[in-house]
Amino acid sequence: MNEKRTLSILILDDEPIVSKRLKPSLEKRGYVVETFTESLEALKRIKERNFDIVITDLKMEGVDGMEFLTEVKKRSPETEVIVITGFATMETAKESFKKGVFDFLSKPFKLGEITEIIEKAEEKILSR
Amino acid sequence: MLRRWVNKILGREQEQRVSFQEIFTLFQEILSLNNRTLDLIAEANDKLSGDYIFDRHYIETFQEETASLVHQLIYKLNLISPGKYQELNESFHRIESDIRQILAGRLLCPTDRYVLDYKEIAEKHLGEAAGGKNTHLAEIMEFLGITIPPSFAITTAAYFHFLQENGLPEKIEKIIDRWHHGETGIGEASKEIRSLILAARLPADIRKEIDMYLDAIRQAHPEKKPYFAVRSSAVGEDSEFSYAGQYASRLNVSRYRVIEAYREVVASVYSERAMEYRQSKGVLESEIAMAVACQQVVKARVSGVLYTYHPVHPEKETMEISSAWGLGAPIVSGRVLTDHFTVARRAPHEILELKVVRKQTALMPAGGEEKTEVPVPEEQQTIPSLTDEQLRRLAEIGLRIEKFYKKPQDIEFAIDENDEIVILQARQLAMRGKTLPVARELAEILEKYPVISRGRGTVAQMGIASGTVFVLENDEDLDKVPQGAILVARYASPRLARVIRKVSGIITDVGAVTGHLATVAREFRVPTIMNLEHATEIFETGEEVTIDAQENIVYEGLVRELYHFSLAEEDIEETYEYRLLRRVLKKIEPLYLLDPKDPNFTPQGCRTLHDIIRFVHEKVVEEIIDYNYHHPHNMDAVSGKLDWKFPLDMVIIDMGGGLVPGAVGTGRKIVPEQITSPPMRALLDGIAHPGAWNNEPMSVDFGSFMSSLTRTMSAETMSPRELGQNLAVISDCYINVSLRLGYHFTVIDAYVVDNVKDNYAYFRFSGGVTDISRRSRRAAFIGEALARHDFHVELHEDLVEGRIKKMDRQGMLDRLNLLGILIGFTRQLDVKMVTDEQIAYYIEKLQELLENDNHE
Repeated sequence: MNEKRTLSILILDDEPIVSKRLKPSLEKRGYVVETFTESLEALKRIKERNFDIVITDLKMEGVDGMEFLTEVKKRSPETEVIVITGFATMETAKESFKKGVFDFLSKPFKLGEITEIIEKAEEKILSR
Repeated sequence: MLRRWVNKILGREQEQRVSFQEIFTLFQEILSLNNRTLDLIAEANDKLSGDYIFDRHYIETFQEETASLVHQLIYKLNLISPGKYQELNESFHRIESDIRQILAGRLLCPTDRYVLDYKEIAEKHLGEAAGGKNTHLAEIMEFLGITIPPSFAITTAAYFHFLQENGLPEKIEKIIDRWHHGETGIGEASKEIRSLILAARLPADIRKEIDMYLDAIRQAHPEKKPYFAVRSSAVGEDSEFSYAGQYASRLNVSRYRVIEAYREVVASVYSERAMEYRQSKGVLESEIAMAVACQQVVKARVSGVLYTYHPVHPEKETMEISSAWGLGAPIVSGRVLTDHFTVARRAPHEILELKVVRKQTALMPAGGEEKTEVPVPEEQQTIPSLTDEQLRRLAEIGLRIEKFYKKPQDIEFAIDENDEIVILQARQLAMRGKTLPVARELAEILEKYPVISRGRGTVAQMGIASGTVFVLENDEDLDKVPQGAILVARYASPRLARVIRKVSGIITDVGAVTGHLATVAREFRVPTIMNLEHATEIFETGEEVTIDAQENIVYEGLVRELYHFSLAEEDIEETYEYRLLRRVLKKIEPLYLLDPKDPNFTPQGCRTLHDIIRFVHEKVVEEIIDYNYHHPHNMDAVSGKLDWKFPLDMVIIDMGGGLVPGAVGTGRKIVPEQITSPPMRALLDGIAHPGAWNNEPMSVDFGSFMSSLTRTMSAETMSPRELGQNLAVISDCYINVSLRLGYHFTVIDAYVVDNVKDNYAYFRFSGGVTDISRRSRRAAFIGEALARHDFHVELHEDLVEGRIKKMDRQGMLDRLNLLGILIGFTRQLDVKMVTDEQIAYYIEKLQELLENDNHE
């Protein structure tokens, strides 16, 4: 447990409830978490540093989620991206996976569902 | 095809021949819409468990989908009986417009009453009408049995009515606009609005109601002239917490000045501070509404304030109490020197520190309107204003209130002439400590604590709770559950709801997160984990544990850091989205239309979307029977009444091949032998199963069962017309049965042919006459019985749905036989199912019955 590397997670969702809810829970599990509700700010942040995991909504004002995750993957292909969206369609899911998204989760979801995906992503990252 | 059919129906005066197949298709569509809508509502309710992350978008989508389904229901019912239920559309639009307003942030008062007594506020959950201050006191009184002053609430309905009657909303909006556009300063705007409110006339109907309640208090205490405290109790975004102290309160008001004080409190909605605060937080003016608390002033010997935690150093595990002689106002405002006591949180609440000041004056109610500062007698000036015994009692009360709200409390109290502690106000204490643990550090701290269970079971209600385990051996021990215990029980029985206010947390071996107990646990925010399998064996009465139902972990011992962390964290239930979904659901989920004989059972009587769904369901069955049996319009379906030894009062409509040819004669009676539809035969055989009632020792025999059935039926269904509610539409391979026996409803829809892939059966069961716990128990029994016979089962409180597909012909018929047996078997079970242990007992009985049957 102690030699465990601390993973960094960025969460971007324009509805504040998502971050508000996820942040303390992920921090309690030992992750370092940064949250954003404005995609432009999140974009600025990923230009400053890389994150191990990025969790992003798709449909947002300003820079939309697809653009954002494209940028994330371009800058740091190692980053695992998890898409969460309330407008899940087959097309968006397909497009996300084409862009190398780790997993796709439609809102609303259970806390347990997303932590399970994060744990899988973590496994993948730590096995590299 | 539908259009063609509609045209046909509309022109049915001319053209009598409408195919039953077509009308029946519509009927089936209604049933299926009905089921989908109820499922959608049940799912939305589950979202409130705290386990889901959902956003505003979800609430909007849910509302749109539900409204669209209900709209289709109304449309289809109106196709079947054109013009007859047009008013349903009006009710629908009224409810929908309310929901839209709620979504737009408008506060709607859930009642149209202007004044409420506290018992009603607590019992009917009218917090949105009465505001935080009123509601907390009402709950403390009603649920915890703690003394509060005689009080009543002036609702937000009164607030809206008061403003509207005086044409104020438009005027206020104009002034606010001018301020927002920089045309006027905030000071001027505030002053202008407040003087408008202060000069406005209070409508006579509100005044009359207030007078009535004031008189009632006066009459209860005829010996003295009562004085009142008129306090703000605002409703709205963050109102209780962040607005603390922004609104006016008037103390020591004579009954003739209560109205004046009411206006002043209402006017304080537009104090500069409050307006500024709303602007900075982006809260709309429409998102605030002022309810008012009117409390009789307590003749206080001592008054004070209790914090259930040190607001900066929670790790000290202390309570902080300040007090002085006389009335409390100076203490709250910090104008006088007070004694200060530090008391241990843990019983027996040792007094750790005591600072006594010299109290030279005290505020006492003088004979008249004013209160006077009187000198304190020399010998009382330097003694503590609270005794050790009073401090202990206070600490206990404080802890009970804190446990109830799951947050540290800031409590205003008085001790009256009879040495009784009276609570004047209780609200959440803002914790500001740097020493509060943050989530990041918790991860490391928590690793040190031994874990008893991790990730096992299902979270029914989130939250963190510490306490001493009480393992419930049998129902009688429920009374022995100690205050603040972690209750560990075998079943998530609705019976446990009785002690929900006493316990800190609940763990069960088995149980459904959609059951009644889960709903109640949610309502009272008691952290609950269900299905932890061997919980009753793992845990021992007397051991201390900490439940983290956020992460689904149970720790050994008290994990203080976790509890402290939860104190500072915002409750998920208090977030805007939760409150919004709860408000929206209030217009959708409750069912008020229960009894079709009730004069309110009309389109206009529908108050929620659920009412509309229920109404449509009842009427569509009625219409089908009317159309085909009472006033037959078509020749392609044959109908008659079942003539049987069991008085089911069922109309049977044959769509083809369900009856022997020429079965229905002039008497329009059908005897069971004439039924050839295999699924219908299987179902009736089940209902008539002889063993169902004999094998069971405490049960009545079938005859007396049927007499009790007839009794309940005749009691509620007076006219023969009403009795015709039971309907079966059959064919050679299909049945659709709608049964209303007493107050419970059963729907069966099944298709049985040789091609396995096409076969299915659907079963839905709900309602009953007993209390929810027995009904839920019966639902649990039916669910279990169905699951054992390969049905896919969903349970939600007292509603059971079972589905089965793709089974061979014989398998399907066996299942339908089982459904028949269940209908008979469970008719009275809700009356008999007094304990949860009986679920297993009856399952066994049913099993025996089926096995004996196979041997015959």
